[in-house]
Amino acid sequence: MDLRFQLNGHEVSCSLVGSELLLDVLRRSLGVLGPKEGCGKGECGACTVLVDGRPFNACLLPAAEVHGRAVTTVEGLAPAPGELSPVQRAFVEAGGIQCGFCSPGMILASRALLDRVPDPTDREIREALIGNLCRCTGYSQIIESVQRAAELRREGDS
Amino acid sequence: MRPLPYHRPGTVDEALGLAGSLPGSRFIAGGTDLLVRLKGGAARPSALISLRGIDELKVTDIGETARLGAAAPVADLLDNEALMAGWPVLGDALGEMASAQIRSSATLGGNLCNASPCADSAPALLVLGARVGLRGKDGERVIPLEDFFEAAGITQLGAGELLTHVEVDRPPAGLQGIFFKKKRVAMDIATASLAAAAVIRDGVCVDVRLAAGSVAPTPMRLPATEAALRGHAPTAERIAAARRIAEEEVSPITDLRAGAGYRRRIVGVYVQRAMNALVAMSEGGG
Repeated sequence: MDLRFQLNGHEVSCSLVGSELLLDVLRRSLGVLGPKEGCGKGECGACTVLVDGRPFNACLLPAAEVHGRAVTTVEGLAPAPGELSPVQRAFVEAGGIQCGFCSPGMILASRALLDRVPDPTDREIREALIGNLCRCTGYSQIIESVQRAAELRREGDS
Repeated sequence: MRPLPYHRPGTVDEALGLAGSLPGSRFIAGGTDLLVRLKGGAARPSALISLRGIDELKVTDIGETARLGAAAPVADLLDNEALMAGWPVLGDALGEMASAQIRSSATLGGNLCNASPCADSAPALLVLGARVGLRGKDGERVIPLEDFFEAAGITQLGAGELLTHVEVDRPPAGLQGIFFKKKRVAMDIATASLAAAAVIRDGVCVDVRLAAGSVAPTPMRLPATEAALRGHAPTAERIAAARRIAEEEVSPITDLRAGAGYRRRIVGVYVQRAMNALVAMSEGGG
């Protein structure tokens, strides 16, 4: 089928074979490398993307299901080339990034949380990030990063 | 994963027709279980028939009965304020399900059709007395959820039949509920779980419903434990006796997650904790 959807604000289209997964379409057909394949089973969250604002595991999402919908990957967060979104900036400033493999997924899951809950508690942050594994940071800096991102967004930082 | 033919019908009739014409095909809803099994080679369907494009399977209608579309994502149900306000326990159980990402995809219908003993939604739906609607080419039938589960992984669902919706009558006034799930780490499946709901009026358990997961081949109500509490004052002695009955009433297995004896004990502890919490809630709420 001819798959069409909005990717980071731009209309894209590509040909799709049957049950091909969104993660493979993004990485192989469209060259979008932000979403990563970690476990491939919906456990690690490295492949997290937003579809109409909600977080999904792209490794378990047949691409046909996003036809006509809006997909956001980490590439779509920055307001302009060379700039960072508040959540990205917060992860850099608070040391929520080490090797970086989990970061796109962490940042998108955090973004989805903050869009719903602008001022989350630590517990709400931990619950929202249950589906995202990090093997470097020990999570404390990630929780701090999300708190920092909430501050930046409240301050109206772009 | 080698791509399979992927069909995306727009109506239930179309989906049933496709299933009839495609031998070896499988329905797929959220896919959070089936796609993992496909990748691991544990399921080898000839084609997939997606239920996610069928609006009639996604509609949630809240009246005196809540009609929950089987293919509505769990996240939609959690966002439904009328459902969350009027039907206790359900939100607690659905909110504990896996992760935000999984809840965006996973559906109530998929969780029930997998018929896992540890299905997170099942104990809550059992205490609420849920019914399931099944539709095949010969028509529709509605049966109690309790009768839907036959054994681990096995349901009443016939070949080419679809679970279309879950019906739950509005609970009686004063029904309060609580859900417990024993797991080792985040995202883990339940070692044991318990949903409990009760109406406690003037110091008496007027109504009490208990259902446990991961402690028998199917999620189960605990009728003997309920009978020990119903119509009585929930005193410490009465609750302790109910706890012992619950430990006997379940029939867990030993597997890599826990021993059978441990599971019995957890269910007993949960019955005790749940009843204590429900007593406190009834006092707090007047």
